[in-house]
Amino acid sequence: MIKLHQVSKSFSQFQAIKSVSLTINKGEIHGIIGASGAGKSTLLRLMNLLEIPDEGEVEVNGAKLTSLNSKSLRQARKSIGMIFQHFNLVANKTVYDNVLIALELASYPKAEQRDRVEECLQFVGLKQLKDKYPAQLSGGQKQRVAIARALANNPQVLLCDEPTSSLDPNTTAEILGVLENINKTLGVTIVIVSHEMEVIKSICNRVTVLADGEVYETVLIEPNGIKAVDNSPNYFVEQLKDGERDHA
Amino acid sequence: MPDILVRYEAEIWQSIGETLTMVGISIIAAVLVGLPVGTLLFLCRRGNILENRLVFSTLNLLVNTIRSFPFLLLVVFLIPFTRLIIGTAIGTAAATVPLSIIAIAHYSRLVEQSLLDVPKGVMEAAISMGASIREVIFKFLYVEARSGLVLGLTTSIISFISYSTIMGVVGGGGIGDFAIRYGYQQFMTDLMIYMIIIMVILVQLIQFIGTTVSRIIDKR
Repeated sequence: MIKLHQVSKSFSQFQAIKSVSLTINKGEIHGIIGASGAGKSTLLRLMNLLEIPDEGEVEVNGAKLTSLNSKSLRQARKSIGMIFQHFNLVANKTVYDNVLIALELASYPKAEQRDRVEECLQFVGLKQLKDKYPAQLSGGQKQRVAIARALANNPQVLLCDEPTSSLDPNTTAEILGVLENINKTLGVTIVIVSHEMEVIKSICNRVTVLADGEVYETVLIEPNGIKAVDNSPNYFVEQLKDGERDHA
Repeated sequence: MPDILVRYEAEIWQSIGETLTMVGISIIAAVLVGLPVGTLLFLCRRGNILENRLVFSTLNLLVNTIRSFPFLLLVVFLIPFTRLIIGTAIGTAAATVPLSIIAIAHYSRLVEQSLLDVPKGVMEAAISMGASIREVIFKFLYVEARSGLVLGLTTSIISFISYSTIMGVVGGGGIGDFAIRYGYQQFMTDLMIYMIIIMVILVQLIQFIGTTVSRIIDKR
């Protein structure tokens, strides 16, 4: 589904990605993990050419992005969804309009736009919030809107750049659940960049460990499932007292 | 109404009309030319989607140069140019030329600043969705920056009113010119004060409208 062939990327003096080759298979949830500065986000952003590689080839869904002209590249990007750590919603548009814009950009048939937006919002469980503005939503809800927006045009691939890193554990579990559901029910290939081991272990089938801009190893794993989070005050108290005992 | 206002009523209305003409044309120039210039300044910046050092430095230098002229000197300096465009360098129509030029330079800078406040991530999201440059500008940048663009225009309009008071030197007329010629030079201090009051009311009104509109359209 996604093929990177000897891709390199530098920022002024710093070489962020050093001749990386990587294949991501159709239908998998592929994790990318590594220390900060290892080049995780850069690697992900190379997959839709948000960063233009200095060398190497990027192929997504059979199209060689690195040899497309700008018009065809824009076309190709319409079937590659992307979500971000900070959601990147348009704050002056309602939830509904934020999803609608993806359809407008993709010249989705006008008559079907309304139904499609509602369908996507339904999928992420936010239909009742469609007239709200992002400022009125919680972090988890904002990320759901971003997911609905990314899904609107039926992408083959969903790129997730630290999708849960600014969310609390409870919301993280919710969002991971949504991503897993997208993969299972819609068959969308998902790539997740995260620095949180728990996130990666819970839903990924295959994980690439990145170090200093190079692939250290790619590991096949069995996802251990999304852990339900105990949110009761009693749980917090227990955890705090446990810690106390450890140090005593 | 005070006698003096009644006596000069026709002249006052005429000068208000001249001010509104000069400021109105400046606003049109600011929006039609200043907005695109400011947008280009923003987009051609280092690291932005149309990064272009030549275009950026040229526009930047041009805007800075115009803005660094003492306005009275700019008016005089532009006389040959004004004559070329309007056919005369005297009168209200002629006065709109230097006013429009300063208006463009003034507003383009404020546009650039408002656009710089748009989170970079929003543009990235737009690009990742396959938006063209035009779509990034109209469907994302201007939507996200709209309250700043309105506030900037409000600030600009108030500056244009202030600039327009100088236009008496080229026979542009306007409230400021009337206040100087009748109020100051003919020792009718009360008339001058009334003119100042009219301008204060005008500025208050514009600022009120600008602030209100920008607040209503800001959903951030």
